[in-house]
Amino acid sequence: MVRLKHRYLLVNILYPGPVATPRGKDQQTLPDTIQFHKPTSDSLTPQMLMRLIRDGVAELFGDYGVGVVAGSLQVKYFSAATSTAIVRVSRAHYRLVWAALTFATRLPHPLDEACVMQVVRVSGTIRKSEEEAVRRARMGIRKAQSAGTWMWDESTIGQGHGNVGSEGGSVGGAEAGARPGIEDIEDDRSESGDSGD
Amino acid sequence: MAPGRPAQSPHDGGGGNTNRKRKDAPTNPQHNGPNKRPRQHIDQRQKMRIARTLSTQTTSTAFQNGALDVSSFVKSRAYEIQALENGLQRSKKALNERAFQQVPKELRRRTASHNVKRVPKRLRVRAGREMAVDNTPTVTARRRKPSGHMRLRLETVKKLRALGAKRKAEKDKPKDATTTELLPKDVQPGTVTTAIRTRIPKVKKSLLATPPVPKAKFRKRQIHKSWLPTHLYHAKRARMTAPSAPIWRYAVPLTPTAKSYRPTHRASHDRGAVAWDMSYMSTIQLEGRESSVLGMLKAIGVAEEDLSGRKSNKWRAGVRVLDAFLYERESPHELIAPVTMVWCVYDGTATVMEKRKRKMFLRVHPSAFYQLWEEMLRLAKVAKPAVSVEDLRFEIGSIEITGPGATEALLGALWPSSMASTSNDASDAAITGMDVDATSDHPRSESVGETWQKLAGLTNPALLPQNALLGFNVQDPRLHHPPRTIALLKSDAEQHKLLEISASWPVDAAQKACDIFDRKARHSASTSLPSQKAVNRRKGLAAPGEYPQALPKDPRVPVLLYSSSNATPTNSSKSRQSTAHNGSWTLLAPWKCLQPIWYSLMYYPLSTGQQPRFGGLDQKRQLAFEAGKPWFPGDFPGTKAGWNWECEDRRRRESEWRKRPRGKRVSYEKVELGGGKKGEVGVGWACDWERLLNVPPVIEEAALAGIEDIMDVDGPAEKAGDGTTPAEKAVEDNTKPAEQEKAKENILPLQATPKPPQLSQLSARQALALLASPEAKLPPHINLTSALVTVRLTLLTRGVPHPCARIYRLPTNDPDLRRQWLALLPSNLPHKKQKGSKHALPRLPKDASAHVVQQRLAQSLLEPPRAGEDKYPACPAEEDLVGFITTGNYDLGEGQGTGIGSLLVDRVRDGGAESNVYIVRNAGTGLGRLARWEVA
Repeated sequence: MVRLKHRYLLVNILYPGPVATPRGKDQQTLPDTIQFHKPTSDSLTPQMLMRLIRDGVAELFGDYGVGVVAGSLQVKYFSAATSTAIVRVSRAHYRLVWAALTFATRLPHPLDEACVMQVVRVSGTIRKSEEEAVRRARMGIRKAQSAGTWMWDESTIGQGHGNVGSEGGSVGGAEAGARPGIEDIEDDRSESGDSGD
Repeated sequence: MAPGRPAQSPHDGGGGNTNRKRKDAPTNPQHNGPNKRPRQHIDQRQKMRIARTLSTQTTSTAFQNGALDVSSFVKSRAYEIQALENGLQRSKKALNERAFQQVPKELRRRTASHNVKRVPKRLRVRAGREMAVDNTPTVTARRRKPSGHMRLRLETVKKLRALGAKRKAEKDKPKDATTTELLPKDVQPGTVTTAIRTRIPKVKKSLLATPPVPKAKFRKRQIHKSWLPTHLYHAKRARMTAPSAPIWRYAVPLTPTAKSYRPTHRASHDRGAVAWDMSYMSTIQLEGRESSVLGMLKAIGVAEEDLSGRKSNKWRAGVRVLDAFLYERESPHELIAPVTMVWCVYDGTATVMEKRKRKMFLRVHPSAFYQLWEEMLRLAKVAKPAVSVEDLRFEIGSIEITGPGATEALLGALWPSSMASTSNDASDAAITGMDVDATSDHPRSESVGETWQKLAGLTNPALLPQNALLGFNVQDPRLHHPPRTIALLKSDAEQHKLLEISASWPVDAAQKACDIFDRKARHSASTSLPSQKAVNRRKGLAAPGEYPQALPKDPRVPVLLYSSSNATPTNSSKSRQSTAHNGSWTLLAPWKCLQPIWYSLMYYPLSTGQQPRFGGLDQKRQLAFEAGKPWFPGDFPGTKAGWNWECEDRRRRESEWRKRPRGKRVSYEKVELGGGKKGEVGVGWACDWERLLNVPPVIEEAALAGIEDIMDVDGPAEKAGDGTTPAEKAVEDNTKPAEQEKAKENILPLQATPKPPQLSQLSARQALALLASPEAKLPPHINLTSALVTVRLTLLTRGVPHPCARIYRLPTNDPDLRRQWLALLPSNLPHKKQKGSKHALPRLPKDASAHVVQQRLAQSLLEPPRAGEDKYPACPAEEDLVGFITTGNYDLGEGQGTGIGSLLVDRVRDGGAESNVYIVRNAGTGLGRLARWEVA
């Protein structure tokens, strides 16, 4: 029997823009990494995510793209609280889905929020992508905690401007705690590039 | 914040039913009542889907009021980690989750694995639950409805019982009648009592022993074979010989059912112990004047220095054992078998050495028993004064145990009978007419049993004097069952004491005549063993946690224990000497006492963990092979027993070969031997000794000169050998192989092909002498042209030899080919000191610079040709064939392929500088490998 070969894309939804609902000074003191990886609204369902991908593929690759992808496309896991998803697609065409995700700039209609869909891992088994998700969640916790304490220190000293530059801005002045987002993207590239084929 | 409500519960719908294997019977909805819902059926797919679903958290639960802060951010991620890890676990478990699938490997079973009572206790509750869900109730054997075969058996039993009752009733009736009639006539009561006493049966010597009559229940299964004393243990746990094909008329365990190749190696070398029930080894007792027994031994080829030399004083005193090869007395003095000989210590008063009447055990492999027995009978008849020969086959059983934990396990099982009870027993012995001398005077020095108990902590019996022997009496092992781990040495002082004992070896002085040589002692030990019920009662009366006290009336089981080290007596290679040789213990005990000892051994908890393993015939061969020692009979094709073994093996291999479809078996006729030759030499599935002996080397014009002198040597010797003229010989040669082929084709030969009469085997000692000096004096009867010598081969390059592999010497008539082969020798290669793979250049790093790569290219061009390449030298011609591998495999001890085989000694003698480098080619392949050999 021939086994159906799949690829599992681990996707993070990032929010690069300034926080939509400023609620006073608390919000300003939140570390970048949290704002960057902020939770997605509950109203984004896996079905909507599917539609987003399908529309993106249709836009970029036309009916052909939708046709080859539709049979195997599935959202295996979507956690709104952590903005993480695992998307399954057939091995032959996972690049189409990846491209669609990369070119998505906004969440679908009722939400309409600016976002970046970042594919952080492509793997052949769901197990490996789950393990990677666990690893990333651990890293996220560590970064949030260290950034939180750093922020706390900053604010106690009285130098209130923790937000040095906007997210995804200048690459030059990368500090470990301050710009986790950039660092993420860099090492993601190499990893997903390795596992891509 | 508490983790939020899972969006999808992983267990919804699954419940307790997820681990069901058996499906419900199809339910008929009509019969189901209206409120009886059919049980929800969950198939494997759905189960997997449920297991793989991950729970997620919604944003609203994770972040209350949508407030974004560090702690809830961290918590939401922690929840995700938890969910993912759970999911990983669950989906893994969904694949194997039945209780009995989680049993450790060595405890797994196939039969009745559904039986809850057969899984380990910790899993039993869970297994019970699973079974209940599956609607598979656990039944007890008692309440099971007998099925099929069992029902037939029970019916037979019932009928037999009825018959027996009837017969008994009949028997009782007339007896009553006659007694009532006779009583008035038969007035003297005294005569009645004397009539009861029966004559003690005289022990018949010089007769073959008959196997013990088994219980009626087992009798039908032992018609053409006998069971070992531990048959029931082994039959449950090992692959036995097929009922229709016993080996040596015994049902012998071949290999444990559980995988055991590597575990056996580990247990025997690193940690643990391996034990065999070797009761099939035959024992012959000689009894007579020492001088005449020695004369007999001399006649069957025990070397002079072993019989009368100073080195063998201890053996003659009865405190060592002797391993020797025995030969037939008549010309051509064929090798019979390696035999172990044990003298009984002399306790009598005769001072003149020759006049002592003594006993001796000969232990021989059952395949050569009959040959030796005949020989012994013949010799005993002519011996003066007479020697009686007795067959003790079913009277003495034996266990062999090896490995670092062997001594410990034996110590746990063998508790010497206390000396205090000896004096009591002496009076008993006097009544039964036992030889009292043994126990009359207590030695001041410690007894053998005490010394034995001081050996705790010994991990290698080879530390003791070579072939040391201990004979003593032990208690019934069932009294100390289950055995407990013995106290081991803790301090250096104790360690020193052990060393001191092994150096001074007090047993030499303390050893008395061992009871196992005494028929009455053996008999009384076997018959006076209490029933298991009685033993249990005694154990129940003992204080909790304590073993029952030894009583003076307890049976005393005579045992004889001797160590044998695996060290080969020959000039073994350096690697062999450096590896520690593990000795082994051999335990002789009365046949019927062996089983309780075996159980105590097998359940002994070793201090290093686990219990001793048991081995079968295959393990015995494996360990002999790893020690580089030939195994009798398989590795001695020149003996009668070895030849039979070879024939048996041939038949097996042939049937295996024929079983396969044509396209999937080796087609021996198409094997490319190199040099344009095609077709396997001789029969592919055999070590074709006939071909090696009969077919003269192929004469070619170029090679004629080289072979001429070989032919000259062959001619007269063969004439001397079997008295045929060369012409007859040639005719025979031509017809024989063809006939044999035909015979094999037509009838699968039920009878083994007779051994070629000239084929003979040299012992290692003879072979070494012969090889050391070509003019060495050999007994004149040995036909050098067809004498085999057993050798051990180590492959020098790669590859693994298999049984039946052909052994060639370096080409004698083709100097070019010879040079090519010699160029392959690792010692001739330029790069010797490299790590990593043995014969490939070390791998280059990925980013190696261009000049390094170039260098490598040049180096690889200079490399000797690898196997499979065109330039790899071809196999030598048939004239250089010298022998066959009888045992070959990957040697776990050496970490490379080794083999044990036999060579024609005549073709081996004339070697040059590279005289011990040979070429081994597996049967059915065209690829030769270099190997170095040494006499094994």
